Amino acid sequence: MTKLLEVNNLHTRFKVRNGYLYAVNGVSFTLDKGEMLGVVGESGCGKSVSMMSLIRLLPPAAQITQGEVLLEGKDLAKASASEINMVRGSKVGMIFQDPMTSLNPFMKIGAQLCEGIIYHKKMSRADAMKQAAKYLDLVGISNSEHRLHEYPHQLSGGMRQRVMIAMALLGEPELVIADEPTTALDVTIQAQIVELVKELREKLNMSIIWITHDLSLLAGMVDRIMVMYGGSVVEEAPLDEIYKSPRHPYTIGLLKSIPSIKTEAGSRLPSIAGAPPNLFVEPQSCPFAARCAYRKERCTKEIPPLEPVSGAGANPHHRIACWVDVTKEPAEPKEGGML
Amino acid sequence: MTDNTLELQQEEKQFSLAKDAFDRLIANKLAVIGMLLVVFLFFIAIFGPYITPYDFLSQDLQARNQAPSWAHWFGTDDLGRDIMSRVIYGARTAVIVAFSTTFLSLIIGIFMGSLGGYFGGKVDAFIVWLIDITMSVPSLLLVIVINVSMKPRLVNWMDEQFLLTGNSFYRNTILVDFVLVFGSLALIKWPKAARIIRGQIMSVRNKNYVLAAEAIGVPTPKIVWKYVIPNSIGPIIVYISAALGEAMVFESSFSFLGVGVRPPIPSWGNMISDGLRVWQLYPHILAAPAAVLALVTIAFSFLGDGLNDALNPRQWK
Ligand SMILES: Nc1ncnc2c1ncn2[C@@H]1O[C@H](COP(=O)(O)OP(=O)(O)OP(=O)(O)O)[C@@H](O)[C@H]1O
Ligand SMILES: [Mg+2]
Repeated sequence: MTKLLEVNNLHTRFKVRNGYLYAVNGVSFTLDKGEMLGVVGESGCGKSVSMMSLIRLLPPAAQITQGEVLLEGKDLAKASASEINMVRGSKVGMIFQDPMTSLNPFMKIGAQLCEGIIYHKKMSRADAMKQAAKYLDLVGISNSEHRLHEYPHQLSGGMRQRVMIAMALLGEPELVIADEPTTALDVTIQAQIVELVKELREKLNMSIIWITHDLSLLAGMVDRIMVMYGGSVVEEAPLDEIYKSPRHPYTIGLLKSIPSIKTEAGSRLPSIAGAPPNLFVEPQSCPFAARCAYRKERCTKEIPPLEPVSGAGANPHHRIACWVDVTKEPAEPKEGGML
Repeated sequence: MTDNTLELQQEEKQFSLAKDAFDRLIANKLAVIGMLLVVFLFFIAIFGPYITPYDFLSQDLQARNQAPSWAHWFGTDDLGRDIMSRVIYGARTAVIVAFSTTFLSLIIGIFMGSLGGYFGGKVDAFIVWLIDITMSVPSLLLVIVINVSMKPRLVNWMDEQFLLTGNSFYRNTILVDFVLVFGSLALIKWPKAARIIRGQIMSVRNKNYVLAAEAIGVPTPKIVWKYVIPNSIGPIIVYISAALGEAMVFESSFSFLGVGVRPPIPSWGNMISDGLRVWQLYPHILAAPAAVLALVTIAFSFLGDGLNDALNPRQWK
């Protein structure tokens, strides 16, 4: 497989009132053509900010301080504003979390869909509209010719999310970043959207980054999972590997907190004790250390690098950022955190 | 295939937001009535003084307090002046005051509102504080205080200037009336404009659809033109319409109370005040300006409601 994207040591911070909020602290990963990567982590761990940083879709207060984002070898972190604008929509498409507010209420669906490709592909409006109708069909919106001339409020939430997907796909991008595209929808529509994305991926052979905080949603969908905590990647492995043999204490906690059929009715789900890390100081040690049941002296002193796991029969694509080998060490209650 | 393209091209013409909104406005009967009345008012205010049958100041002591007739459609007042001519001139007073105060309050409002909306933080907190303070002062009280405290000083100062320079500009006390009315009204009204503009800028700037448009590479000028402006302009247009109507009512109330535009310059307010003294004997003197003021107020409120609905796509059927 050929490599599409390579992200190296990406850092993004926000200027806040008395200093900085360090939202992304050294994220590195790669993505092959046609591959689908799931990104999970608790709310506020930097999933959105790190992925938005790829195409520099950030508010003015944000600043990428370090790192490179190589898309087909070209560094987007250093590209000019107009170069980035050409990448957005034509090479990288983005699907947002909230379909209800992601469409301009003052523009008809067709006009909004077309705006990007008219500019990127120098298409005539009529051609662009035909293309838009084609993609509305593709995402399963019936009567697409007619829908093009409707306003967003005339569509249901599920339909709007499909429109958002069509909008991201319209420029025929090689990479689609889906930022929790189903959280605002009810469960049946959620399942439909997931099916739809899987289907489209087969059909169009795109690479997809799917952001979610729901690990169970990713089963059977993605090739690989990347777990984030406190602005860094803590674990990264092929899908089965993560479920079968999680190696980072945070991932282990995350998996334990997913309800399964075996969970006894009325019993409490285990949760990870402690609060998310303070992002107002730049991390100097493992961000999870304060909540970790396996914590050691070293964990509070040094940042663990993301490295392939060791041990017999270890999957070479399985990487963790942890000083401890959880297969050898027993978990024990620690002050300030336990599993 | 060709049919298809044709249809697409035809539909294209209807893409414009302004046209859609205008269609909705036209479909609303009350809004159309309001709009026609408002247009007529502006027309009268601009051209009225050239087409009035009489001069608004010319007295005819032979023809005092006359009931409406063919010669004087709205009758005459206690000095024999033609009431219709005075009502028409009053429209000019009302429109001048309404436009200047709305314009002034918008300027202050845009400045303050966008400052707060853009910079946020302490600047914003200060501006919100200022807005709250200003809004909590009863407007009538403020105008009276300004008039009582500033007017004599201003008039004195102008007299001095006249003596010093000999420039007859400083003899014009009508100007003082107008400036004080504009000034105090703008002072009362800017917080509302500021509040609306601040809110609009803050909310539209962070809207997801702006982000979504950026994500498909829509160029910034297009984003501003097609996403930010249409989404923020609605409430501002509605505000302007409401503010114009309101300013006319305010001007009339102040003139009625003698702290606004003063006789002999006709204002509906001071005409109503004149008419009120003799309404049992000559009700027509009161009726004409009162009816016109009522009509204009209703017209602006119809138009405002219509605009509000027309500019809000969520209310479209
Ligand atoms: N505009 C901003 N200004 C300041 N800080 C921000 C801004 N946007 C995000 N952050 C901070 O950056 C951190 C990461 O946010 P991010 O949106 O990436 O979280 P997330 O992992 O996507 O969470 P969620 O699952 O809730 O979407 C958070 O601590 C958040 O408070
Ligand atoms: Mg997010």
